[in-house]
Amino acid sequence: MQEPRSEAKRVTPPPVDAGGNGVRAVCEEAYVRFAPRLKKVAVAKFGIAPDDAEGLVQDVFATYFMHAASVEQVERYLIGAICNASRKHLQRTGAADELFCGKDPCEASAGDVLLRQIERKQLLSKVLARVGSRCRELLCRYFVHGESAAAIADRLDSTPGSVAVTLHKCRRRAVDAYRAITGES
Amino acid sequence: MHEHLSDVELARYANDPQSIPAERRRFIERETGRCATCRTSLDFLSVMSEEELAEVELGEEAGVDWRSSDEPMTALLHRIEAEDRAADELLAEMKLLSSPAKMAFTDVHRDRRLLTGGVARRLAAHAHQIHEDEPLDAVTFADAAIVIAESLPEDAYPRKAVYEVRGDAWKERANALRVAGGFPSALEALTHAERAYRNLESPAFGLASVALVRAGVLLEQDRLGEAAALAEKAEMGFAHLVQEERRMRAVFLRGSITYKAGEVASAVKLFEQVQEYGEDVNSPRWIGRASYAIGNCEVDRGNLGEASLQFHRALVIFREIGPESERLSAEWGLCRVVLHGGQPSEAIRRLRAVAAEFEKCSMITLSALVWLDLAEVLLALGETKQIAEIAARLFQLFKDAGMMTGALTAVAYMKEAAAAGKLTADGVNAVRTYLRRSSSRPELVFEPPVEPFR
Repeated sequence: MQEPRSEAKRVTPPPVDAGGNGVRAVCEEAYVRFAPRLKKVAVAKFGIAPDDAEGLVQDVFATYFMHAASVEQVERYLIGAICNASRKHLQRTGAADELFCGKDPCEASAGDVLLRQIERKQLLSKVLARVGSRCRELLCRYFVHGESAAAIADRLDSTPGSVAVTLHKCRRRAVDAYRAITGES
Repeated sequence: MHEHLSDVELARYANDPQSIPAERRRFIERETGRCATCRTSLDFLSVMSEEELAEVELGEEAGVDWRSSDEPMTALLHRIEAEDRAADELLAEMKLLSSPAKMAFTDVHRDRRLLTGGVARRLAAHAHQIHEDEPLDAVTFADAAIVIAESLPEDAYPRKAVYEVRGDAWKERANALRVAGGFPSALEALTHAERAYRNLESPAFGLASVALVRAGVLLEQDRLGEAAALAEKAEMGFAHLVQEERRMRAVFLRGSITYKAGEVASAVKLFEQVQEYGEDVNSPRWIGRASYAIGNCEVDRGNLGEASLQFHRALVIFREIGPESERLSAEWGLCRVVLHGGQPSEAIRRLRAVAAEFEKCSMITLSALVWLDLAEVLLALGETKQIAEIAARLFQLFKDAGMMTGALTAVAYMKEAAAAGKLTADGVNAVRTYLRRSSSRPELVFEPPVEPFR
């Protein structure tokens, strides 16, 4: 017999209509009204430095502007978003602080997680050292910085197709290097 | 199951954490770390009042003019508006939105006027608009949006906002491919979308949308455990951004996944949440959909009175607001109630009427599924001759509609088995399962059930 009709067919909101009628006015008003408040929330609630907080507020609004037309309850959305962004910021800076805590012995060094992270990073450095400078640059751009093949091609004066092929070769070279280092066959 | 922390306790924790015993405090910290709904409540309760915020010294506050046109965010907003307006004009002039074929043959790299964020956004929006009815055309538009979005420089917008445009374009490709049945490619597109969104400092909205679409794809692939986890993640993501409409989509999807997993009682609870939300915001569409879904669950649980009430509620709404397919589905649900209520002749009469109406609306697969329900009833009554007639009719219907070979094979199997007096309930069910799955997975091959050894 029949099943409930899956809502999967209507799963995403219509994207991006920031230029639609009235949307700009709503965005402007939201920005003027809430930006200072969001900054204060980031500073007072999460203890983020004012300069960093201003950047986070801009991050939140830049994303909001791109899909403003589909956002319900703007104020609550923005506050949720600044809280998320602040937490993400704290996690990132917290990890950096753990690495450079300045204490002896450093509390962070006792954690297995951190040790494993460092091991992985060292292994990655060894692998990258064996793949050659062109592959190193390509792999870093694509996997670490998240640049697209098209963007890399643009920067290197190449085509997305040849970047993709070179990336494929570099990945294979990296896998070979990994196997050689770890003794895996 | 996690019980949300009360607002009273969260407010106390927000205002005076030391007044709560240390152990309980740690528990609250752990729970708010794990549960987006509790965290949202805590965020709102602990975001200070305007008066308190007014006392916060930001040092350089006096130097920031949020209204200045030189302010980067104001400039971004003006730029988005200008780009979108230009994109509307250009796309209208080139008549690209009205012609998927023209879009497919347009080399966007060769016309620099097309290489703007505005065009990418408009194409993605158009793909979204048509993806349910014309999924393959939607893929074409989403692909063009992707090419453009990926060609934009990283610093096209401040705060890496170009990744929002890229993420949206990939997400629309995934959405369209899901409807078209290209599930592996949809999942691949979602990986790209997720990677793009993760470049943003404020990626929660995009990531929640990706989780929701991915859950939808996994549901179609019958990967129910993964689908449920992702739908829940999406629900939490939207809850934290207080996007209730979208959260309800996630809850409804969770209900559908749970129902498909056979956990009918849990599914009812989820659909009831949706129904309640529909009543709160006065949304007939949500009330209608939830009522229909609950009706189905109640039939399975044998609560025919409740099922009838729910289907009637859905019927009244869909008669009023449409669409026709939802109205007919509610009628179909009532046929099940009548059938399970021990009135096969009345059920047969109603099923014939519903099947004919689906057929009239060119909803061939749905019509076929109703005919199969009818065949099952006739089989139970020993009316195999009528089943052979139904199978013959379905075969002709599929042939006229140019349906794929697999569907024709399935119906041909039913026709032959009925004529030979060998059709069983398992056989009808195999045809039904195949028709349901093959509409989104055309590569599937029909396999008749194995006959037991005699």
